[in-house]
Parts: sequence; C-alpha cells; structure tokens
Amino acid sequence: MSVIELTNVNKSFGVDTSKIDVLQNINFSAQKGEVSLIVGPSGSGKSTFLTIAGGLQTPSSGQVVVESETMSQLSPKARDALRLRKIGFILQAYNLVPYLTVAEQFQFVDRIKTQHNLSASDLNALLQDLDIANLVKKYPSELSGGQMQRVAIARALYPDPEIILADEPTAALDSERVAVVGQLFQDLARQRDKALVVVIHDMRLEKYADHIYEILDGRMKQAS
Amino acid sequence: MFLALKEIKHEKLRYGLIIGMVLLISYLVYILSGLAFGLAQQNTQGVESWGAQRIVLDKDANTSLQQSLLTKSQTDKLTLSKSESYVGQSSVVAKGSKARNISAQFIGLDTKQYIAQDMKLTSGHQVNGANQVVVDSQFQQDGYKLGDTLKFNSKSQAYTIVGFTENAKLNIAPIIYGNLSTWRTLKNLPNSFTASGIVSKNAKYTTGITQLKSYDVHTFIQALPGYSAQNTTFTLMIGFLMVISIVVIAVFLYILTIQKLPNYAVLRAQGVPAKTLVQNTISQALLLVSGGLVLAIALTALTASVLPMGVPIGFNLPLLAVITVGIILTGILGAIIPVRLILKVDPVSVIG
Repeated sequence: MSVIELTNVNKSFGVDTSKIDVLQNINFSAQKGEVSLIVGPSGSGKSTFLTIAGGLQTPSSGQVVVESETMSQLSPKARDALRLRKIGFILQAYNLVPYLTVAEQFQFVDRIKTQHNLSASDLNALLQDLDIANLVKKYPSELSGGQMQRVAIARALYPDPEIILADEPTAALDSERVAVVGQLFQDLARQRDKALVVVIHDMRLEKYADHIYEILDGRMKQAS
Repeated sequence: MFLALKEIKHEKLRYGLIIGMVLLISYLVYILSGLAFGLAQQNTQGVESWGAQRIVLDKDANTSLQQSLLTKSQTDKLTLSKSESYVGQSSVVAKGSKARNISAQFIGLDTKQYIAQDMKLTSGHQVNGANQVVVDSQFQQDGYKLGDTLKFNSKSQAYTIVGFTENAKLNIAPIIYGNLSTWRTLKNLPNSFTASGIVSKNAKYTTGITQLKSYDVHTFIQALPGYSAQNTTFTLMIGFLMVISIVVIAVFLYILTIQKLPNYAVLRAQGVPAKTLVQNTISQALLLVSGGLVLAIALTALTASVLPMGVPIGFNLPLLAVITVGIILTGILGAIIPVRLILKVDPVSVIG
C-alpha cells in the first residue's frame, strides 16, 4: 500500500526567462515495508523532491498524497500535525537541539507528541544498535559528526513515524557505520512496516534498498 | 518552558548577562522610584499624617501655607468643629547643642484641636505648656533626647523637646510642633493674627468668608514649592528608562532569536508547531525578566538598608507592584517583536 504518492508533480522557481524547472513530471510512490533510494548528483532536485514529499513545500502543479491525505488540501497547521504524527525527517544538517543532551532530545519529543513514541526498552535497543547508548548525557557539541548523525537518526525514529524521509543520512559516517544504518533502515522497513525514502548521492546503501530511483535535471527514472 | 529552561541552563553566561542587564535596568527603576516616592513623602508626610482633606488659606496666598495669614477678625466669625484645626507655618533654623543646625518647618497648633490631640508620639508627651515642642524623629537620629532644648533663628528663647513623633516632614524638612503663640513669636506677628490656615478632615469644608479659599488637599500638595516639578522629572526619567529597557530587551531577544532560527527551522521541519516555539520564546523572556526582577528587588532592599538616613528613599508596595508588572510587560513586549521571525521561518532552508 502506498503511503506517499506523488502524481505529475512539477516544481519551478522564477518566471519567464529566469524560470527554472527543478522537478518535471515526477511520479513516485513509496510503500510500507520498503526502502526507496533516490540518487542523483548535487543540484539535481533530490532535496526539493524530499521537501515536497514531506509537505514542507507545495508543488507548482501535481498532487502529493500522504497516508490518503492530499497535502494541498491541508492547512499549514494540519500539515505540521501530519508531519509530527506520520513523518520522521533525518536531515543532512542533523536535527538536534544544541542545548539539549541526547536524552533530553527524546524528552522534548515526548512533550510535543505525547503518545505512540517508542517505549523506553525500544529506545534503548535503538540506541544500542546505533552504538550511542553511552552518549545520553552528552550535548551535541560534545559529539563527533558521526555520533551526531546517529543521534539524529534515533531522534527521527523515536516518534515511531510511518514514513521516514532521510536527506543524506550517511554523509558523515564511515563504511562500517553506513552498514549499521543501512541494516537498521532495512529492519525498520521489513520488521516494523515503515516506508523509508532516502535521498543520497553515493551508492553505499544500494544493497539495503528495495527500489532505486535516479533524479537527473529534475526528471526521475527508476534505476532498479 | 522545557526548551527555555534547558537553554538557559546550558548557556549560563549568555543568559546570565541578559539577566544581569534586566537586573541593572530594574534596579535603577526601583531606586529612582524609591527616591521619587521618598522625596514626595518628605514633602507631604506631615499633611498626610493630619488626615487633611481641605486646607483653607488666604485667597491671595498662591495656595501656599507659608504665605497665608488668617486674621483674628476673620477667624472670630468661625466656629471650628472637631474635624478642623488651625495651623501656623514658619520656616526656621533649629539650633541646639547636639548637632549641626537643622532647617525645619515650625508648625504652630492649638493644643485643644484635633491635630495636636490625635498626634501619635513615639516618646514623651504632647505640648501642654509654654516653650515646649514636639519634634520629628530626625532630631532623635541627630542625637537629641527628651528634655534637650532648641533655639530658633536668631531668637534667644529656648524651647524644650517634650516629645518625638514619626513621619513629620513638610517640604522635605522635619516638622517642629509647638503652639500658635510660639508661631506668632517666630513670625514677629501680633495677636491679631490667628494662624496660617485651617486644616480640615471634612472634604466639603468651607468657611463662607470671601477672602479665605478652601483647597482640596491634592491641589494644596501639587502647589508645594518644587513638588510638581520634582515628581514630573522623576516620572519622565522612569518612563524613559522603561522605554529604553523595552528597546534593549527587544534587541537582545531579537539577536538571540536570529541565532536560533536554523534550530527552529529544523524543529518546524519535524512538525513542531510554531506555537510551541513562540511560547518558548515568550516564556524564556518571562524567566529572564523575572530572574532579573527578583535579583533587582533583593539588591534594592540591600541598598535601602545601607543608605544613610539622610537619603530620602521610600517604597510603596502598590507602586512597586505597578513597576514590576510594567517591567514584566516590557519583557513580554520585547519577546513578541521577534515572534514574526519565528512564524516566517522556512523549514526548507535546512534541507539540501
């Protein structure tokens, strides 16, 4: 079952001669239980695709449906609520609040989304899997880039979202950690029935993906 | 509140400096208002202690008790009730053996009328004979005791202190209470003059004599020399300080908010409602301002306790409450200004 579906989506910036078509006629769907990789060079439109899929931007034309809700028909407040309940963002720039310890990052989620977050034992298992269980009292500034990225992944997964949108989640990780994250993503899809859409510029996660799409000059095609 | 508290705890120096700034501004406002109130009190304490509602003066005295004289021919037509009292005012220099000369206000009273009868003494007794005076407690602080004597201006007659009373100040000078014959002596007036004016506790009191005019106590106090100008000056200073504190607090919060926009963009991308972030900013401003205010109140109390007695500082709880609420509102207003930035933050800016 599709949990995200983009139909004939176009996105352009500027007008007339300065008009740039960033995304052209994109048709895409992500299913529960699957990992979809979106690959492409820098500037190809990957991140714009991700922000439109997550309801952060509206397309110039076309339709985005998330969990049977048409994004264009929702108010900004309702889109916020949908994101909070259903979508977990893993961002390239990390998603950590600098003045909260690792443990407090999760406590903050509890305050804004009071139900259906991971249980304490599930969170502990996640932190163990990501090898960051011993970092819970540290602030982001005390972590390495790789540690921050793994905490950011845990932070995005903690609200137990149905859909996980990840923007270069392994950019700061070595190959060993990439394998851990790749396996984690695959387990989340297979065992917990999540839909993962991962935008990436290298192919180190290829073997964990169910579908690979390529974006080039704003056009998407399925690579495998 | 969660984010606000955690951020303050983590960024102790940064927020400590902001609390310090609020503390200094609030401290200055409290001290200035304390001085303004203290000075105002020392202008009016005496009149207020009489419970005066109306003051009757010669209509040509320009609302000044000092300049007014009531003649015996005028007062003979009057029958004063238990709510009225004659007062005679004269500025004097009090000289004694204990301390420097003290500029004071001599107030002559009819000892059978209500002001003398109702006067609360901290020690001694009322004036009940010739050449006796009851004086403000400032004389006690200057070393005078019951039984000590004072001389006034260049007069040779000595007057014995028979009582001390508190809150007896007029025109920022301590009051010396005596009888009306002493007042006439000090003013070199014959017996054909009764007093400077009539003080009444009755809000509707008039004499019916055309040469005498009855003023409400507010008008009388406003006309005290320098009183209105002094209060206006302090009010303007405090007002300017409040405006400056709005600007300073708003600028600090604006800069802080700008620094936090990338974090807010990430949180917005994750679906954190803008309302949560706005509440965080406002609650943080409230915490900072409240922290600064608590410290400022403590510092003000400490300052007031160590200031020399000669510094006329006084605190009035309703006034302090108004100032405190004013500063808190100032902080909230300062926090609301950058709210627009939070509402406009673009979560897309942190992706790609």
